[in-house]
Amino acid sequence: MDTYNKALNILMKSPVTDDMIQFLTHATLRVMPNCGQGAQAYPSPPTSPRGAAAAPQQPRLPSLRTFITKLVRYTNVYTPTLLATVCYLKKLQRILPKDAKGLPSTIHRLFLACLIISAKNHNDSSPLNKHWAKYTDGLFSLEDINLMERQLLQLLNWDLRLSDEDLILDLQFLLEPIKQHIEITTKQKKRMHALKKQQQMQQQMQMQMQKQNQFYSHGRNASVSSNLSAATLVSNGNGNTTSPRSGLAGASLAGSRSCSNGSLSAKVDIWHDKTVPSDLSWNLDYTPVSLPAGQY
Amino acid sequence: MSSQFKQLEKLGNGTYATVYKGLNKTTGVYVALKEVKLDSEEGTPSTAIREISLMKELKHDNIVRLYDVIHTENKLTLVFEYMDNDLKKYMDSHTVGNTPAGLEMHLVKYFQWQLLEGLAFCHENKILHRDLKPQNLLINKRGQLKLGDFGLARAFGIPVNTFSSEVVTLWYRAPDVLMGSRTYTTSIDIWSCGCILAEMITGKPLFPGTNDEEQLKLIFDTMGTPSEASWPAVTQLPKYAASAQSFQQHPHAGKDMKQLLQAHCKETVDDVVINLLHGLLQLNPDMRLSAKQALHHTWFAEYYQRS
Repeated sequence: MDTYNKALNILMKSPVTDDMIQFLTHATLRVMPNCGQGAQAYPSPPTSPRGAAAAPQQPRLPSLRTFITKLVRYTNVYTPTLLATVCYLKKLQRILPKDAKGLPSTIHRLFLACLIISAKNHNDSSPLNKHWAKYTDGLFSLEDINLMERQLLQLLNWDLRLSDEDLILDLQFLLEPIKQHIEITTKQKKRMHALKKQQQMQQQMQMQMQKQNQFYSHGRNASVSSNLSAATLVSNGNGNTTSPRSGLAGASLAGSRSCSNGSLSAKVDIWHDKTVPSDLSWNLDYTPVSLPAGQY
Repeated sequence: MSSQFKQLEKLGNGTYATVYKGLNKTTGVYVALKEVKLDSEEGTPSTAIREISLMKELKHDNIVRLYDVIHTENKLTLVFEYMDNDLKKYMDSHTVGNTPAGLEMHLVKYFQWQLLEGLAFCHENKILHRDLKPQNLLINKRGQLKLGDFGLARAFGIPVNTFSSEVVTLWYRAPDVLMGSRTYTTSIDIWSCGCILAEMITGKPLFPGTNDEEQLKLIFDTMGTPSEASWPAVTQLPKYAASAQSFQQHPHAGKDMKQLLQAHCKETVDDVVINLLHGLLQLNPDMRLSAKQALHHTWFAEYYQRS
């Protein structure tokens, strides 16, 4: 399997993290750069005074990030369902005109509609729209939700299928560190494997040499060491047969990668650390969003 | 409702919709209009969302074509290719007196071939149907058979999906799914194909259970009881312990399928079709034939040799 696919499987099995929410927030903001957060950052004058009989105030619009975090908390949504929304957001980004404008709450609507569609499309059971309305803390009514869902389906032309390629492309930012970690650990595994092999070869040769030495009772150290260096391409041919192992290991490592013995052993320790599940070790400092029990 | 179509008689009630015959007023072509009443609390049903998104790209001679979607505030209408009948009704009309009689063997073969062709296309496109049964196989006067009702269908193969084991109409549900498996794949549809093949031959459903336990019992009575040897990991299935009680004391190899079918079939049931049936109805899902493999079975030689 391709490293990216491996990374994708690991990512999808991880709990929802703050990094993911941050990533989703940015992905949503990019769909309509001319609307929402950017505009909100600048102070706007207070709204014109209205009559005393003005309608009850709408709940204040939370930041997109807070909005997403709350939805994640309330619904305990699965990581894959949540991350698949990015693909729908990217599709929208390609469909909508670059200068599309909307209300400040439009980005909230876009995200929520994408999440609802992702939940309905990827799970055999998912919340009803009336539940989604509740999860918005009164920001959107059931009618709002039904409308945004219908509009999104029409915008996307009901084209909701995602492939591994779509996911890998759209989630690359989150996948890259996992992929790198996989590559490092595979390299280390290979290196450890090579090292072991070399050690075994070394031992075998030593045993052979011992036999030879016994056979040629007059054999000299110098000839032994030249045999060694020829066989294993070790440049260190000073005839030091007392510690051929450390010489070999050091030389081969220095040749393959500029990495000192010290740093190698440190990395090997992480790789061997059984307290860190190898699947998650790429993300040691993840902070799971605390969620109520019961996933749908 | 768009005025493009004239709504004619009701054709039936689907899982979540009513189907009418319709006439395209501009082209004069008949269509099937599947009307989904939208419940405002639910929003657009996930079944409709999946059926539309999956069927839009499934263009095959043995899959009912989705022409169009009309989405309004309180109604969703799916415009499908019109088909004259479904396999269930067609088989029901084939009775001798009051007893059901199977279809002619040459027709059974032609229908089964088309069913597997359509299914192979779904599976190639990474789609599970999950509700194959005679009612969902539509036929027309030219003897064509097409897969319909993708309300339970799902895409598979990307690490995004969660699956329920509450899928497929009970009589056509595979033993692994009955025992609670959620990691099923294309083999779930193959089991249904096996049940349908036997039903076409005899005119009677092969395993007409009334509940999950009885369904498993009927399956094991005929197909034999599973063991770790014949089906590794069967004991790991969520509901294995509960269902195993009934058969663990009396493991057996099952019944002779040929005899069983021959009793309800006027024509000779040959060994070749029984061999195919066993390939489709393996208890162990990993041992079941794939749709592609089944299409290459000797029983279909006359079709693949011709093409």
